[in-house]
Amino acid sequence: MLERYGHAVFAQVARLVPSFEDAEEVYQDVFVKVFKNINMYDPEKSSLKTWISHIAYNESISFLRQRTMPVIYYEDREGEAEKLSESEVEATFGHPNPETVQLIRAAIKHLPPDERAIITMFYYEEMSLKDIAYVTESIPTTIASKLSRTRKKLCKIIKMLQS
Amino acid sequence: MTEEQLNALRQQDTNLRDAIWQDEMERPQMPADLNERLMQRVAKEEKKPRRIIWPWIAAACVAGVLMIWLTPPKEADVVAEKKPKVEHPVKGGTPQIAEKKPTAPQVVETPQKEEVAKQKTTVAKRDAALLAQETPQVESPATPTAEPAHMDLAVAETAKPEPEPVLLTERDIPVTRPENYRYTPEELALMKKQANEAYLKWVELELEISKQTMEQTALK
Repeated sequence: MLERYGHAVFAQVARLVPSFEDAEEVYQDVFVKVFKNINMYDPEKSSLKTWISHIAYNESISFLRQRTMPVIYYEDREGEAEKLSESEVEATFGHPNPETVQLIRAAIKHLPPDERAIITMFYYEEMSLKDIAYVTESIPTTIASKLSRTRKKLCKIIKMLQS
Repeated sequence: MTEEQLNALRQQDTNLRDAIWQDEMERPQMPADLNERLMQRVAKEEKKPRRIIWPWIAAACVAGVLMIWLTPPKEADVVAEKKPKVEHPVKGGTPQIAEKKPTAPQVVETPQKEEVAKQKTTVAKRDAALLAQETPQVESPATPTAEPAHMDLAVAETAKPEPEPVLLTERDIPVTRPENYRYTPEELALMKKQANEAYLKWVELELEISKQTMEQTALK
């Protein structure tokens, strides 16, 4: 189990927990919890990987809440990102451009941890909305709207960085 | 936005995918010994003796129930307090008789006193006779004093199988009940005397009043 899912779980934890040492601690906590509660795993509800991801996500979020570390991220309070048109967003993300990639990488760092986790799960791990909803204890429609909003938010941050 | 639309966007957003992919590639890799450390931690946690508390709690509960079960009720406490009172005459009987034992030496000493009295020449014969008369009176109780020694044994023998303690009731307490109020003959005699005196005083007063009324009427 550790060999199969260990790297993915560590990457997921390290994505949310900024410190490397803390990520190691949380990783261990995740698998201790997995070993203790393995009897509670229900294959009908989710795959084992998704179930472990769910535990890892919850452990990381609760760790961040306990530590109360200052996390600085962009918050679109005035709803300016929502004003961006879909064509504008598609032009930013669709046309391959190494400079834009670097800008996107910089912009991702300004996202809150939960949004960063969702967008990584969707684009990098290619998880379904249902699985993401299971991991984050949400519903697929909420995840869909969050993804759409995050895309626009990233586009807005890129434009702010460019200006 | 539906899932199909999002899946299509996922394919279209190449820049975003590349950015996330690069980010993930640059992320520090998991340490090789992390899984070993994890297994050591799991082994340590398994080795830790788990303190099982529930048997202690259960034992404490049982002990508490037993304490409540075995402690006598309050009424029994009262009886237990009264027990010595009941046993007192039984036990006290023997000491009382036993206390009389020292009287025996007194009886033995009396002849010595007599001898001393006889030796004294200054004592008159009448006094000596009186003393001689007194000694038999003293000696006479000496005979019963010898008996208590036998009685002691008898009482002790009879007392060996201790009688069951008699439970005292409220009736046995002397003052609380009105039927226990009884005048002694002396009290009754005193009361009669006081009543007679009061009657005589009343008659005297009546006579005085009548005398004065007679005088007043005579003066008029």
